[in-house]
Amino acid sequence: MSGLPLSYPVRNVRARLRRTALTIGVIALAVIATSVFLALITSLKRTLVASGSPDNLIVLRKGSDNDGSSMLSYEAYQVLRYLDGIATLPDGTPLVSAEKVMQPFARTRAGGRENILLRGVDPIALAVHDEVHVVEGRMFRPSAGEIVVGRGVAGRYADADVGADMFIGKRTWRVVGIFESGGTSFESEIWGDLRDIARDANTFPYSGVRMKLAPGTDRQALIERIDRDPRYALQATPEVDYYAEQAKSAGTLYLLLVILAIPVGVAAGFGAANTMFAAVQSRTVEIGTLRALGFSRGTILRSFVLESVVISLIGFVVGAAGTLLVAFLLRIALGGIAFGAQTFTINVVTLRVSLRDLEAALVFATAIGLVGGLLPAWRAAHLRPVEALRKA
Amino acid sequence: MAEPLITLRDVSRSYERGHDVVHALADVSLTIASGGFVALMGPSGSGKSTLLNLLSGIDRPSAGEVWVAGQRLNDLSEDALATWRARHVGLIFQFYNLIPVLSALENVELPLLLTPFNRAERLRRAETALRVVGLAARARHLPSELSGGEQQRVAIARAIVADPDVIIADEPTGDLDARSADDVLGMLRDLSREFHKTVVMVTHDPRAAHWVDVVYHLEKGLLLGVEPGDAERRA
Amino acid sequence: MRFLPLILRNLGRNKLRTGLTGVAIGLAVLLVCFFLTMPAGIDVFLSQIASNVRISVHHKGGLVYQMPFAYVNKIRAVPGVVAADGVVWFGGAFEEAGHVTFPSFAVEPEHVGAVWPDYHIDPAALERFRRFRDGAIVGRQTMEKYGWKVGQQVSLRSTIWPVTLTFRIVGEIPNARSPLFWFQREYLAQAIHEHGWTLSIVGIVWVRIADPALVDGVMTKLDAMFRNSPAETAAETEKSFFASYFGSLQGFVAIILVVTGLVALCVLCIAANTASMAVRERAREIAVLRAIGFGRGLVFGTLVAESTVLATVAGGTGALLTYAFTAGVKLAAGGWSTQLGPLSGFLVSPAIVGQGILLAVVVGLVAGIAPAYGAAHRPVASVLREVF
Repeated sequence: MSGLPLSYPVRNVRARLRRTALTIGVIALAVIATSVFLALITSLKRTLVASGSPDNLIVLRKGSDNDGSSMLSYEAYQVLRYLDGIATLPDGTPLVSAEKVMQPFARTRAGGRENILLRGVDPIALAVHDEVHVVEGRMFRPSAGEIVVGRGVAGRYADADVGADMFIGKRTWRVVGIFESGGTSFESEIWGDLRDIARDANTFPYSGVRMKLAPGTDRQALIERIDRDPRYALQATPEVDYYAEQAKSAGTLYLLLVILAIPVGVAAGFGAANTMFAAVQSRTVEIGTLRALGFSRGTILRSFVLESVVISLIGFVVGAAGTLLVAFLLRIALGGIAFGAQTFTINVVTLRVSLRDLEAALVFATAIGLVGGLLPAWRAAHLRPVEALRKA
Repeated sequence: MAEPLITLRDVSRSYERGHDVVHALADVSLTIASGGFVALMGPSGSGKSTLLNLLSGIDRPSAGEVWVAGQRLNDLSEDALATWRARHVGLIFQFYNLIPVLSALENVELPLLLTPFNRAERLRRAETALRVVGLAARARHLPSELSGGEQQRVAIARAIVADPDVIIADEPTGDLDARSADDVLGMLRDLSREFHKTVVMVTHDPRAAHWVDVVYHLEKGLLLGVEPGDAERRA
Repeated sequence: MRFLPLILRNLGRNKLRTGLTGVAIGLAVLLVCFFLTMPAGIDVFLSQIASNVRISVHHKGGLVYQMPFAYVNKIRAVPGVVAADGVVWFGGAFEEAGHVTFPSFAVEPEHVGAVWPDYHIDPAALERFRRFRDGAIVGRQTMEKYGWKVGQQVSLRSTIWPVTLTFRIVGEIPNARSPLFWFQREYLAQAIHEHGWTLSIVGIVWVRIADPALVDGVMTKLDAMFRNSPAETAAETEKSFFASYFGSLQGFVAIILVVTGLVALCVLCIAANTASMAVRERAREIAVLRAIGFGRGLVFGTLVAESTVLATVAGGTGALLTYAFTAGVKLAAGGWSTQLGPLSGFLVSPAIVGQGILLAVVVGLVAGIAPAYGAAHRPVASVLREVF
């Protein structure tokens, strides 16, 4: 006899429906627990770390960590606009965006109160931050009290809907659009007209300046030139570095989640493998019978491991569906998960389950199936048939 | 003949198996005297085990009455039967059925857990029972460390430790070599002779007839005949 | 108790399975306890730090908007107000420890004692705080984190104001959970004066009210007083102030709780599976026990006890290990985290450990019930017949 037919494991799964359902359930739960956690980690990472464009610089007042606490004058902005090495639009307009940032109160849909990041920009900002796209409604018009809100904001805050009037800080704004930036922290912001917002803040005209470098520009030389200008105490940083620095403040959180993900995975995996283990072990007699009938160890082993893996994969599919459902329900219930950054503004992290997260869960589930099936099957297959039969 | 300890009156037992009704026992009536040593013999499926189950209150008759030690077993609830068994019946099985994780002494102690005795008293009695079966020296051994004959002697000690009125044995020698089987049969006879226990045994073993007082023959659920055992004839 | 040895022996029967199940339960209970410390941190913070007679007055539109400093004296004049202290956010960064920040404020030193009597600051320290222009009073958490001592000098660079100031620590807030750093408003005013600015604003005014019964009335009166002024105010109790500040953490807490629930559910299935395995492979022994007189209730009880003992011992160990685990995480993550705020206190309370153990007991009971019930009610004769 060369091999057990493929239908043997499939029939076994059917024959032991209750036990199989339990095993699938445990694996599905393990998959959900770990992949919700993984999704949280990757979503967080995407928001906090992946923000910023590689050929952008951010210029702030020397000593400021972030544009929320920086102040820049009109003169400084004009000087920065006409530096060499900055990319321009076809009509010659330099890709330099002066921005005013402030964090007034906004009301969440749940009725809470949070500091929200309000960024005043000119239309040029969309060319400088080329990852930002208005996906619903339209861009705001200058000096009309209009704003566009990030995707995360739209989910989390009251009245952040196109066409609605949204009360932020001291006044009401008309929401005219929703923008996305591929999940980065801009999606936690509200953008409005620079002058409108500067008037509302009633302090220095600008917080900082973002600029896009022309291809081939010596970035380091330009940074040094800005930093050394004696008239204005300025400090230029590559935008990517700036966000990486901002994300560092979330490092604790990130580290914590990673520390926690490990035991979650181990606990869930242990349990699932144990269930699997038990399922195979309870069939020692059956394995003995098969051996007595003359099937080889390898054949039996292959068949049982295949069965375990099949069960794991079904568990994974159920678990993956469960994960998407849980993430969806969490999104509806929470409207994005908020994290206070260092500046007390809120970063809205949208919980998105990426293909990566599911891939990791797939590897996880398969490993559970392999280990949980292989160990006991190997043990049973190496018992002498008589011993295995006596275990009745 | 002494007064009857066990009385069966027109006892029948049938099972439903799918759509069929299997009559395991039909209209059996018998009495067994107190202190007697009785063998039930018959081929496979003759109803001997069913009869044993009825005597020990593990199973209930479909019809008829079962009286043991003055108690009508039909009247007892499931839980009352368990309590009654603990006090009045000692069971011995073909495959010993010792608890593998407990030592010989602890196995013997098991039935005493159902009594109000404290630990010291339980251990004293368990040790005494082991001495009776000649295994005092192996009290700390696990069943897996004992031979088949020794395991069955531990099982006998377990059956007698709570001082029951009746000892019921199902093929007690079925898994033993000839020497061990003789030991076990001798021991059962001693229980009946010296300790005045009523011993009822199901067996295939033809030699068993040499030891018992009475042999009942069953076949297809019917009590076919009763003949005195050799022990009775000798007496 | 007389059945305990039997129960323990049965658990020892399949050591690998018992071990795996135990580890899974222990680890899960450990995680659940750890997760529970996070939302519990908010409650502890609110109940320890927040007082019911202290309110905050700030700009209605957000903490980003400032109020005229003159408001502080106007507030003090309102009947029912015992004391008020106007504070300004400094955003100090401690560069020596790698640019870390903690809540640092310029305060009015002469009013600190009256507004925060519940902080139990040493009167001598308060006296020094008033006397020394560069004096600072620091929460014990921050003191311990950087190993600061009273009398020591520390420099903080402001991320708000274009200044770096050197302070002399003159006292501490004797509360291990306080990260605060307070210094004299006058010191900040002088420093920015060198840049040609005048410090004429205040961010938050903390107000202590004479009696809890007066709190609502005073809050209404204060907001009415500044209505239609350039800086309208919003007065709220300290508890509500911090609760809304921490409100944004709710989403995070919710995810944590969902994951916790999933882990608990997972472990329940695992325990149930182990219990049903244990019962199934011992069907014959259980039938024998019942045959020799063990009643249904007793069989049911010992089987449920078996899974409960396993879950309780494993879960209890996990729950107690939470102390060590949180200590380890704290060490790895490093004290106060701005993102997590009070969630990062990781304060393991006996209540949390108790909840963990309770979870373990419930898991054991629930997991054991179904298989134990089945075993206790299966007809003895039919099981034994399969054996004879």
